[in-house]
Amino acid sequence: MDVIKKIGVNLTLLGLLGAYFTAILGFFWAPSVDPDQWNAPEAYRIVYWHVPFAWTSFLAFCLLFIGSASWYVSRSETGWRLINVGSELGLLFGAGVIISGPIWGSVEWGVPWDWGDVRLNTYALLTALAIFLVMALRSQPDGEGTRDTLAAIGLFGFVLVPITAIATTLWRDRHPGLVIVDSEDSGIDPEIRLILMLGTISFMAIFIGLTIVIDSIHRIKSEIEQQNISKDRVGLT
Amino acid sequence: MEPGNLVEVSGIEVHRGRSMVLHEASLSLGKGEVIALIGENGSGKSTLIEAISGIIPLRSGDVQWRLENDSNRTVRDSQGRRRPLPPMGLTLQKDGMCGEETVIERIATALSVSGLSHDESILTRLLEEWGLSHRSKSRVAHLSSGLRRRLSVLSGIAPVALSRPPRVSILDEPSEGLDTASKNLLGGWIRAMARNGHGVIIATHDKEVIQWADRVLEVCDSSLKESPGESSGPELNLPKPLEMAGQTPIASLMKWTISMEMRNPVDTVGRAVPAIVAILLAYALVGSIDPIDHGSNLLAALVLAPPFISAVTSPAISRRLSEEDCGRWWNANVGPISRPAFSIIGSSVIIPIPMAYFSWIVLAGSVDSQVSIEVLKWLWLPAICMIDLAIAATSLHLLASDLSRPGAVSASLLLIVLVWPFLELTEALSMIIDNGMQITLQFNGPLVTCFFASLISALVWISAVLFPDT
Repeated sequence: MDVIKKIGVNLTLLGLLGAYFTAILGFFWAPSVDPDQWNAPEAYRIVYWHVPFAWTSFLAFCLLFIGSASWYVSRSETGWRLINVGSELGLLFGAGVIISGPIWGSVEWGVPWDWGDVRLNTYALLTALAIFLVMALRSQPDGEGTRDTLAAIGLFGFVLVPITAIATTLWRDRHPGLVIVDSEDSGIDPEIRLILMLGTISFMAIFIGLTIVIDSIHRIKSEIEQQNISKDRVGLT
Repeated sequence: MEPGNLVEVSGIEVHRGRSMVLHEASLSLGKGEVIALIGENGSGKSTLIEAISGIIPLRSGDVQWRLENDSNRTVRDSQGRRRPLPPMGLTLQKDGMCGEETVIERIATALSVSGLSHDESILTRLLEEWGLSHRSKSRVAHLSSGLRRRLSVLSGIAPVALSRPPRVSILDEPSEGLDTASKNLLGGWIRAMARNGHGVIIATHDKEVIQWADRVLEVCDSSLKESPGESSGPELNLPKPLEMAGQTPIASLMKWTISMEMRNPVDTVGRAVPAIVAILLAYALVGSIDPIDHGSNLLAALVLAPPFISAVTSPAISRRLSEEDCGRWWNANVGPISRPAFSIIGSSVIIPIPMAYFSWIVLAGSVDSQVSIEVLKWLWLPAICMIDLAIAATSLHLLASDLSRPGAVSASLLLIVLVWPFLELTEALSMIIDNGMQITLQFNGPLVTCFFASLISALVWISAVLFPDT
C-alpha cells in the first residue's frame, strides 16, 4: 500500500512538472498561428492546457459514470470508490475546462459563453454535478441511503448529457473542433502537436497519480470509520 | 407467508457504509402479537424498524406484509423493488411531524392516510383521552417535547387501534419523553390492540415497555436473538372502530400540503417576492430604454425571468418534509409514488401564469398595442410550460433533500440544466412578439418550441424521480 501511495505521489509530481514545462513551451517556444485565420492568434496558446483538461475531465466523468452504474446495479464497493475518485477529479479537471474555455472564447469569439455549444455546456453541467457530489461526500454520513442517493444523482447527471445535447442542438453551435488525433488533413504544426502530446501525457500522469492518492485516502478514512463503529458498539465500560 | 402472520421479514441484510448493521435478520409478527426490539445504542433497532416500514433499501432478503384482503405483498426486496404498505400506524424516533400542523390536524391526517373516516367529535374524544384536547388547535411546533411525543405516539397507534381489520403499528422508542400516566395509557392501548388481533412492533430501551411484549427480540452483533416476553400490562377499552373512508394516501398528502401552505404561505411568498423584485429591478434598470428596440429576445427574457425565478426557488415542501423526519413518515405511508407526488404537489403551479402577465404589463408598456393584445392572448402558453419547469426544479430540490444533511449541499448546482427550457420559452415568446401566434407544427414555431421546453423539463423530471426509487 505504501509503495502504491508513493507511486501515486511521484506520478502526480512528475505530471505537474510536465504540465509546467508544457506551459513554458506553449508560451515561449510554440509557433504562432496564422493571424488571418484567428481573431486572437496569441490566445490560442491556452489550448496546451485546455485540451488536456478536457481529455482528463472526460476520463474522470467516465469513472464517475461507471462507478455510479456499478453501485446502482450491484452495490459494488469498487463502484463506490470510483464515485469518490471520479467526482473529485471531475471537479478538478472540469473546472479547468470551464475556466480556460471562456477565457479563450471571450477573446477569440467575443463571448465567454455560448448556451448553444454542446461540449462546453455538457462539461459545465458535469462539473456542477461533480461539485455537488464532492460537497455531499464530505458532508453526509456514510450509509446505504446516502450512497444510493449519490449514485442516483451520478446517473442522473449522465442522463443530462443526451438531454443537454438535444437542448443545445436546438440552440446553436460555435465551439471549434477538438484537435488531438493527427491526420494528414488536420494541418497541425508538428511543434504544436508535440507540445499538445506533452501536455496530454503530463495531465494523464497527474490523473493517474491523483487517482491512486485519492483512493488511498478514501481507504484509510473507511478503515478509521470501521474502527470507530466497532468502538461505538462496545459502549461505556 | 404463514397464515396468521401480519409481517414477515426474511433474511434481510442492511449496511451502513461498509459496515453491516443487520445480517440474515428474520422475524415474523403474528396477529394479536406484541414484539419488543431491544439492543444497545447503534445495534440496529431503528434500522430494523425502517426496513420493516419499507423506507430503506435491502442488500438481501425481503419484507412481506399481509393485506386487508388476506393476500400478501412484498413491500421491499433486495432487487430494488418497492411497493406501498397496507394501512398501518407509524411512530418514528424523531416524531415525523411538521411543526406547522395543528394537533387535531395531525390525528386527522394519520387517520385519513390509513383510510379511516372520522369527524371532529371522534378526534376530540381521542384527544381528550390523551390529554391533548386543550391543545387541539395549537401547532405542533408550539407544544412541549412531552406533548409532541404524546401526539406522535397517538398518531402511530390510532390508525391501528380504530381499525376493524387487523393492522400493524410500528413504534420507535414510543415511551421516550412520556410521563407515567401517558406511558400507562400507551401500555393499556397496546395490550387492547393485541387483544383485538392487531400486531405491534416496538423498539425500546424501556424495561416497563418490554414487559408489555409477548416476545422480545434482541438486536446484537447484526442478528436477532429471541426470548419470551411477559405480556403484562392492563388492557383498556379502545374507542369504537371507524369505517373505511376510501381516501387514498395521495389525496391525504395533497390536502395536507395545501393546508400547510394556507396556514403559512411561506412557499408562495418565498417564490413571489424574488420574482417581483426581479420585475422591479428590470423596470428600474431598463426603464429609460425601450427593450423592444433591442430585439424581442431581450424583452421576452426580461418578461419570463421572474416566473423562472419563482419556478426554480427552493420549495417549502422540501423544508417541511425535512422537519423531524416528516418526509420519512409520508414516504412510509404513501410508498414509492411519494417522490413524484411530492414534486408535483410541492411545485409552483399558481404563480407562473399571473407572474408572467404582471411582468409583461410592467415591462412592455411601450410595445405596440396590437402586439401587446396578441401577446396577452397567448402568454399563458409559455407560462404553463414554466409550470413543467417548476415541477422539474422541485424534483431536483427533493433529490438533494434526500440526503441526511440537505443544508450542507447546494441543490442549485443540479438546476443549471433548466436554463435550456427557459431559453426555449424565451425564444417562443420572442416569436409571438415578432410574428404573432402561429398554430402550426412548424419546427421553428412557438408551439413546437414550447413543446420542446416542456419535453426537456419532463425528461429532467423523469430522471430525477426514476433513479432514486428503482
